[in-house]
Amino acid sequence: MTELDIGKAAGPDRAALPKPPTMAQHLELAWRDVSVGLTDWRMWLLLGLNDIRQRYRRSRLGQFWITLAMAITIVTLGFLYAYLFHQSLELYLPYLGTGFVVWGLVSGIILEGCTVFIASEGYLRQVPMPKSVFVHRMLVRNVVTFLHNMIIIPPLYIIFHVPMGAVQLLALPAFMLLLLNGIWVGLFLGTVCARFRDMPQIMASLVQVAFYLTPVMYPKVQLPEKWRWLFRLNPFQDFLDILREPMLGKAPPLDAWAISIAVTIVGLALTAVFFSRFRARIVYWL
Amino acid sequence: MASIILDRVTVDFPIYNAKKRSLKSELIRRTVGGHIEAIDDNHVSVMALRDVSLELKDGDRLGLIGRNGAGKSTLLRVLSGVYEPPIGRVAIDGTISSLTDMTMGMDAEATGYENILLRSVFLGVSVKQARASIADIEEFTELGNFLKLPMRTYSSGMVVRLAFAISTAVTPEILIMDEIVGAGDAAFFVKAEARLNRLIGSTHILVLASHDHEILRRICNKAALMEEGRLRMIGPVDEVLAAYSGLA
Repeated sequence: MTELDIGKAAGPDRAALPKPPTMAQHLELAWRDVSVGLTDWRMWLLLGLNDIRQRYRRSRLGQFWITLAMAITIVTLGFLYAYLFHQSLELYLPYLGTGFVVWGLVSGIILEGCTVFIASEGYLRQVPMPKSVFVHRMLVRNVVTFLHNMIIIPPLYIIFHVPMGAVQLLALPAFMLLLLNGIWVGLFLGTVCARFRDMPQIMASLVQVAFYLTPVMYPKVQLPEKWRWLFRLNPFQDFLDILREPMLGKAPPLDAWAISIAVTIVGLALTAVFFSRFRARIVYWL
Repeated sequence: MASIILDRVTVDFPIYNAKKRSLKSELIRRTVGGHIEAIDDNHVSVMALRDVSLELKDGDRLGLIGRNGAGKSTLLRVLSGVYEPPIGRVAIDGTISSLTDMTMGMDAEATGYENILLRSVFLGVSVKQARASIADIEEFTELGNFLKLPMRTYSSGMVVRLAFAISTAVTPEILIMDEIVGAGDAAFFVKAEARLNRLIGSTHILVLASHDHEILRRICNKAALMEEGRLRMIGPVDEVLAAYSGLA
């Protein structure tokens, strides 16, 4: 480099303009973002747990306030709807309770997935951190919230004699599959919402609608048989089933597993392309 | 060995919520160095960097000067790897620490000790490394038992002390700074200055944006002048500063 070069900047040879990155390079950078993000587990664990800790500061119950609210909803709605839907309390309350807790995890991941990058604007604009770190942080937060809400389950199951057995172990792989989906949902929605700021509100409405269309509060059999195929169109039902059914001591339907796995693969593939393409732009949109 | 290579880097910002018309008056104004361009009737983009090429290697202490909006901060963000430019190539080799916002990542409700870990994460320091630097930070800040209390109980001077101590605890290979920051009262200021000088002395590459010519003369061994997103000139500090003074 010349020591003094007035008028133009010193630099490498001025041949043709450097080519924009190819899709392969985009994919590689995105993969590095995600893999480095995963190896930095101490980082997102620390950040995610601090988010939860924040809810406990100067609050005696902290996160358990949310759990308490959920428990009250489950009990009151449980009694009311058991009569409205002519269900036996013994079957309905554990069904509703499990459904609520699982849906809390699903909707939490989707809603908070929308704001992973928007909420981290201050950080992303200052330091070159892997963007996936903020998705994992969101997942840590939601897993801890889920574990809090899980304390509702044992008393419910004991009181209403839910059978306990090896089949409950099937909930574990379902839980892991849900979290795997959380990664692509967070990367995908986080990116879309960073660009289109109306999206978080739209998603909030959609999740609300999905809640009513998914059999969380009512058993599937309440719908007349000729209309029951409509549930097939709603993949939320499958993710709910693969986790809720084994928790309730029943083997989950195989087609629910098949569809959940298919959605996972399609989601991951779609996000791989989408996130690779727009990852570098996110920070410009913030 | 650390190195930074920028090859004809151009950065523009899409502004999605601005109407071209409302920005028209801005186009006429020449008091700031930035450049606003209309892509079409609905889209406006701000050209923040144009065709910037730069090569930095071990030992380089680069001072960045230029008017507000000339692209200094954008360039700092490209150099720290935050902005990946849509046009041009960037190759950065080395661990980077960006001291543009010393308190970033800190949480007022968390204790001093918790904040050491939180802040460190955003400096690119591993949790293990952060734990190792706790003793050094305790000694430097002289905050004693305050470190066990939530940061909201601190005076603003104490917050600055802690933020400064954490931010300067680990030496990166590439250090990016936006203005030199002082910390605390007179006695502490001397201590802070010594610590900062040690950090600046031991980092491989320093890039410092500053309006303070004295500081630039003292710390930097080369300077770059930014104007309207372009790198107008790069060379010895005195000559670039002279050219900048002539410009104003």
